[in-house]
Formats: sequence, C-alpha cells, structure tokens
Amino acid sequence: MNGSSLPPDSEGGEPSGSAVRFGASSSRDTGFSSGWETGAAQLVELITLCSRGHEEAFAELYDRTSQRIYGIILRVLRSPDHAAEVMQEVYVEVWRQSARYSRDKGSVIAWMTTMAHRRAVDRVRSVSSEVARDERYAFHGGDREIDQVWDGVEQRLDVERVRRGMASLTPIQREALTLAYFGGYTQSQVAQLLKLPLGTVKTRIRDGLIGLRDALGVEA
Amino acid sequence: MSEIHGAVGSYVVNALDGDEREEFEAHLAVCPTCTREVQEFCETAAELSLLASATPPPAALRSSILSAISEVRPLPPELLPPELLPPEPSAEIAPVQPSPPTAETAPADRPIDELALRRQQRHTRILSVLVAAVVAAALALGGVVYGLVQARQSQVAQQAAETELLTAPDVKTYTATMKDGGQVSFVVSRSLNRAMFVGKGLPAVGADRTYQLWTLEGQRPIPDNTVPGGGDRKEFFRETLGGVTGLAVSVEAAGGAKQPNPSTIQVITELAA
Repeated sequence: MNGSSLPPDSEGGEPSGSAVRFGASSSRDTGFSSGWETGAAQLVELITLCSRGHEEAFAELYDRTSQRIYGIILRVLRSPDHAAEVMQEVYVEVWRQSARYSRDKGSVIAWMTTMAHRRAVDRVRSVSSEVARDERYAFHGGDREIDQVWDGVEQRLDVERVRRGMASLTPIQREALTLAYFGGYTQSQVAQLLKLPLGTVKTRIRDGLIGLRDALGVEA
Repeated sequence: MSEIHGAVGSYVVNALDGDEREEFEAHLAVCPTCTREVQEFCETAAELSLLASATPPPAALRSSILSAISEVRPLPPELLPPELLPPEPSAEIAPVQPSPPTAETAPADRPIDELALRRQQRHTRILSVLVAAVVAAALALGGVVYGLVQARQSQVAQQAAETELLTAPDVKTYTATMKDGGQVSFVVSRSLNRAMFVGKGLPAVGADRTYQLWTLEGQRPIPDNTVPGGGDRKEFFRETLGGVTGLAVSVEAAGGAKQPNPSTIQVITELAA
C-alpha cells in the first residue's frame, strides 16, 4: 500500500512533497488523547490530500481516527462483526467524500463521527427490523446503557471534561441523551423506556446537547 | 418555538425515524437557525463520542480498508453552482449530515425511493437554476441557458412543457416566501397563457392536508391544482391565464377546497398584465 498512491486520473497530481509531511507527524499512538484540537488542522490537511487521491494520507487519517471511530461504532452496535462492516463503509465513504468536506461545515472529526454514528444507527435499525431487538431487551437495556458509559470510561483529560459536562446535566437529560446517542434508540423508543411523553424526551435531548455544548465550550 | 425546531437534538443524535428525519431535513433546508444548531450539536456529539472508550479496531480491518479505497475514486469537489454538475450517484443536498447510504450499502428498506427522490430533487434544482437564469437574462435568452434547456429536454422528454414555459420570450418569475417559510416562485408566460408553481423546501403539512393553488380573477379565487407538502415541488396551474390577475397558495384539507379561507392563505402574488 505505501508508496502506491495513485492520484485520480483526471488530475495531474503531485504526489511528491506531500509524503514528507506524513513522516514528520507522529500519529499512531498519540491519537486524540493529547487533545484533538491541536490535531484538527492536521486532519484538515490529511482530508485535503485524500481528496487528491493520496492513499498515504488516508492511511494516516485512519491511524489517527480509527480507535475513536471504531469505539463509537462498536459502542452503538456491540457486535464486532457489524462494527467491522460499518467501519469499512464509513472509511470508504470518507475517502469518496473527501473533496466534499468543507471547513465551513465543522471539524473533520465531527464530520467523520457524524457519518459513523449515523451509519451505526442505521445498521441498528436494519438489524433490529430483521431479528427484532425486542422491547424486553430494551427495557433491561436501559440501565446497562448508563452503566457501561459511566463505568467503562478511560481516565483521560478530555474524557473527564465530557464526563463533567454530562454530570452537569439533569438526570433525565443525561439518560435521554445517552439512550439516544449510545443506545441507538429512536426518540419514541427513548420515551417508552423512560416512560415520558415524546415531546418531553425531544426537549430533554435537545436541552442535554445545549447543556453539554455550553459546558464544553464547543464552538462550531 | 415551533415543534419542528425542537427535533434538532434528536436529529443530530439520529433518534428520528425515517419519516421524522425526512420531515426535519426538509425543514433544515430552509431554516438557518436549525442549520447552525445542527452544526454546533454535531461538534458536541463528536465530543460525547469520547465516552465510548476508544477501541483499537482489528488489525485486519486496516489492510482491508486500505485495499478497498485503492479501488475507489474520490468524488470530485462540488463546483458552484452545484446544480450544474453532472449527476453524481451520491450528490448531497443536506447541509451538514454526510451522504445517505449509497445504493450498494443502503439498508434494504429504503434504497429505491431515495434514489428517485434525489433524482426528483435534482430536477427541481436544475429547474430553479433555470428560473433564476431566465430572470437574469430577462428577455434576451443567452445561449448557455438555451443549451441547458436542450440538455434537459433530452433528459426528461415529458417535461417539454416546462421547457416551453421557461424559454417563452415573455416569461416572468415572481418569487415570494410563504407564511410557513416555504419558498415559492411562479413562472408565468402571458403569451403561452400558462403559469407554473415552483416550491422549494416546502414544509410538510401532514398526510391529511395539502397545498392548494388558486388563480385570482380580480377578487374571485378559482381553485386550481393541489401540491403535497414537504421538499421541492413544481406544478403547472390547470387554468389558463386569460383574465387572471393574481396567483395564490393556501393550505387546505386533503382534496382541496372550493373557497379559500383568509387564515389558510399562504401567499398572494399579483401578476403584471
């Protein structure tokens, strides 16, 4: 794979020069644990190179993001088999769509996470329509969703920030957001799990995101 | 805050089912407030994803993905205006969300409609560009527009009537925003005696209600065709324009009404003689 980069046929391509950048940046083990904000500009650079057909840039993008993307996909799907398939779909799509990414739309990691989460949830829905992820499971699943998220968290600084942000929410906001985002439930299913009216759940999910956004000081 | 705005959080965490999602995306296309909020929430959700413990994917997956992408050509960038690009299988109009699944990876329950829908949307977008171009060129039609019309003609033969209208020497376009936020244009040619309604980002009005077109002869409204809500729509007026002084749109119960009610009128446009 390395060194076999082929720019798209319609472009002249200047594969030389860009390879230098890859070697200079350490990536694989730092990942995002040292704060992904510092890496955000580099991810933009990598995605830009992907759009010109540079496969080494894609490999680096994969190495920098794959643990995080796989983490959320696996968390939603739970099945490593499904997760691997969705992971492949997502990264192939990232490669295909790389020229369509625009900084105006937000950060690269948000763009990728959004894509990954949506596809994971779509998979949950299509699988559950096949094998009926039934209500019984859902009801017992409620507490587990919360526990796993709160117990299995790594003690990293940025994770701590998010945890504190989540802790600043009301319990219902937190539960509704957790069930929807990590559980992959629809808002109607969340309403049933929490025995709340749909409108209330909708509001709690949105308020939860607002609270979290403000706690994290995220700017689009 | 209207109910649809409230769904923005659920949309970002993918907690809307298919219909709800479609409805919200139609709204999103015309609501800058929600668009901005979606973007912010996507950043927040990305941070939230950190709570799923980062997990190294199986090593075999890396080589499998890397060899997969070597056989896939990245899509070209979207040039402006995107409506003029040749059709791409995954052309995307939603402002923030990534592309919906492509045909080969789409969940089995909704691949075909989506393609049809996108094709329809693309036609409507091509049309609205044409409308804009016609207005810009006023009476003197440029060769570019004509070329586009030609291309469109061969692409969609049954829409010759639209082409005829758009290329009519006296074509005029009236645009307006409806009470519910939908963007409408009336494309009118006195010489052809025809008018067409073009709605962009129409709010969904529910299964039991519909948009209804009206022609006005002075103060007298005459019921015309109905148009379903949700998304981009176009529809010819059934009536010819002799004696017609204005056009209007209302929202009525499914099936339409004989007489408009002042509270249901969305927009009234007076036509030049």
